[in-house]
Amino acid sequence: MAKKPIEIDCEEVWRQISNYVDDEVDPELRAIMASHFKDCAHCSAILDGTRNVVQLVGDGKAFDIPASASEKFYNKLNDHLATRQPKKR
Amino acid sequence: MATARLQSESEAGLLARVRGGEHDAFYELVRPYERGIYLAALSIVNNDADAEEVVQESILKAFKAIGSFRAEAKFSTWMIQITMNEARMKLRKDRRHLYESLDQPKKGEDDGDYVPRDFADWREIPCEALENARLREGLKRGVASLSAKYRQVLILRDIEHLNIAETAKLIGISQSAVKTRLLRARLMMRDALAPGFDGAWKKGR
Repeated sequence: MAKKPIEIDCEEVWRQISNYVDDEVDPELRAIMASHFKDCAHCSAILDGTRNVVQLVGDGKAFDIPASASEKFYNKLNDHLATRQPKKR
Repeated sequence: MATARLQSESEAGLLARVRGGEHDAFYELVRPYERGIYLAALSIVNNDADAEEVVQESILKAFKAIGSFRAEAKFSTWMIQITMNEARMKLRKDRRHLYESLDQPKKGEDDGDYVPRDFADWREIPCEALENARLREGLKRGVASLSAKYRQVLILRDIEHLNIAETAKLIGISQSAVKTRLLRARLMMRDALAPGFDGAWKKGR
């Protein structure tokens, strides 16, 4: 007789979904979740969306800083060094 | 690995030059991490002007404290730590903690289970869609709308790609807390973006 697959409820899947995306669940739980995703359209949609969020926010283009801003990052250091220069000589 | 080693070798060279009095080398040392330290500041102060000010102060502090940097640490992580401390100090100074604590969730949020609001099966948004300014704005708004505790973890893990241990250490929380907060942050981001996932991001370029 075929062994009945171990089931997992949707709420437990949501609790682990982020760890699943990061490959931070043990192989046994991973297999149980993978089988759940095949049968559950809701959880599968949440998995796809979560993966997509990780991809989009992780893409360098989403949170770049304008070049004009990065020049200003050194203003205080520039001022500090400018006041030190004469003493150095 | 080889790239990381090369980078740290060139960093070691730059560090030696800075310590030898070549100030220009410090600029070269920091430049690759500008975005990282800016986002670390933003994860705490949550607005561009304050983040910029924090970065200016942090770069100056790091320059003054370069003698205390130990070679076994990663320069990038050291810079981020200085920046996050500076950002927290700024919040305290501005008394913004009265309005938003770094650890307290917003009203209606708690550490219990998060139930996704939207179960729709959206089409995947391809990364090319990031050319679309509306999508970039949507992502930024989504991140800014998160409570500080979730925003910090999402920025360090998913935008800066730090590992769980590094993230935990920088924020001063356990690794399991990082995972719990990251789960919630990602699900909230997914819900925040869901209305645009039906194809709306492709319109109105």
